[in-house]
Amino acid sequence: MGVATVYPSVHQDVALDVELVERHRCGDLQAFDEVYGRFGEMVYNLSLRLSGNREEAADLTQEVFLRIYRHLGSFAGRSTLKTWVFRIAINHCRDRLSRHVPPMQSIDGDPETGSVAITDPARGPEELAVAADEGRRVMMGLAQLPPVFREAVVLRDLEGLSYEEIAEVLGVRVGTVRSRIARGRDHLRLHLEKGL
Amino acid sequence: MIRHISTEDLSAYLDSELGFAEIVPLEAHCASCTECGSRLASLRRVVNGLGNLPRAEPPAALRQQIRRQAQAVPPTPGWQRRLDWLRLLLFPVRPALRTASAFGLAMLAGVFAISHGVADGFLRVSEPPPREDVEAYAGEAPVLLRQTTSEVAGRKFVWTDDGGWVQRGLEWATPETQLDAHSPQGRALLTRYSGLRLLLLEDGSSVILRDNLKTVVEIRNVPTPPRVMSGASQPRPGRRGHVMSA
Repeated sequence: MGVATVYPSVHQDVALDVELVERHRCGDLQAFDEVYGRFGEMVYNLSLRLSGNREEAADLTQEVFLRIYRHLGSFAGRSTLKTWVFRIAINHCRDRLSRHVPPMQSIDGDPETGSVAITDPARGPEELAVAADEGRRVMMGLAQLPPVFREAVVLRDLEGLSYEEIAEVLGVRVGTVRSRIARGRDHLRLHLEKGL
Repeated sequence: MIRHISTEDLSAYLDSELGFAEIVPLEAHCASCTECGSRLASLRRVVNGLGNLPRAEPPAALRQQIRRQAQAVPPTPGWQRRLDWLRLLLFPVRPALRTASAFGLAMLAGVFAISHGVADGFLRVSEPPPREDVEAYAGEAPVLLRQTTSEVAGRKFVWTDDGGWVQRGLEWATPETQLDAHSPQGRALLTRYSGLRLLLLEDGSSVILRDNLKTVVEIRNVPTPPRVMSGASQPRPGRRGHVMSA
């Protein structure tokens, strides 16, 4: 009964972080561009999952990166640049979404039907259809999760952060992260079972 | 009684967050317990379902837009960052934080005010005026039962052979200050302990009392010179003798 979940690997070279920040401090505009290149897609996806709206996610990403640009020079290196960026993103999303909740929209696959497009050459058409249906239901369940559980589940299962990294981003203990992830997944499990 | 595995442990197991010592019994239990085995399978489906969700690509124009805006905005100078912190401290977004912040600031202001003595005026409980209920006064004392003690403003006074009143406990103390009852300081003291006026007899008796818990003061009642010089009476020479018992 082995576990083989593979998460997208993220380059976490602390030396690279420091070098990027130093270059930014020296006025190298390319450094900030590289920061966007490393974390832009992650921040956009995080914003998308937390807001459930593409336009809102784009606005959030833009604001988060402008904030990063302003404060990158003060990055002290007490954490990795990745957790620092995620912390800014999470705080900004919380701040903005607490004041304004955008209308939820289908954010996966076809915007009209809401079906999730899963492409896997190893699977047959029927299997892919089942997986797509399940994906759609998981996505709907995720949108209904309370924000604290959604944040933890998204950071873990979609962004692939470790428990320690999530604890750092959310500013809570690892035990709390473990509990929030489990409760979020349990909500989703019940949501899936109800749909069967 | 069968003890099932908690969802938290099952979830941590899927994330490889359990130690070897925990994995072996968990796997053995799930292999034999239908309920836990089924819950584990459902959780795995959830994790796989989330992992299968396609990643969204940010709009192509977003990068250019951010780059353009970033170049237009200078990095925040240090003073402004500090101002941002202050703003965040004073006006947090969340209502609970706002309440906590207001409470915290009020506490800080209180501590500051007390430590700097600013709050003295606010915090000082208005002192009740000294009790001035004179229980007995020295006047023309009865021949048989001479009045020898008086209480003024909560202080007991005894009559001495010198013809003056001394606060109890100060019978043998030497006054550090002597004040004329008609001088500004003497008048001020008498205003504060106005009941003392009753003790100060017209014939020039004095009162020795402890003022402000520190100084022993003697107030001498030097009569104002009469208009007719011939009728002037002189105060008796001050000599303190033994305290007469009541």
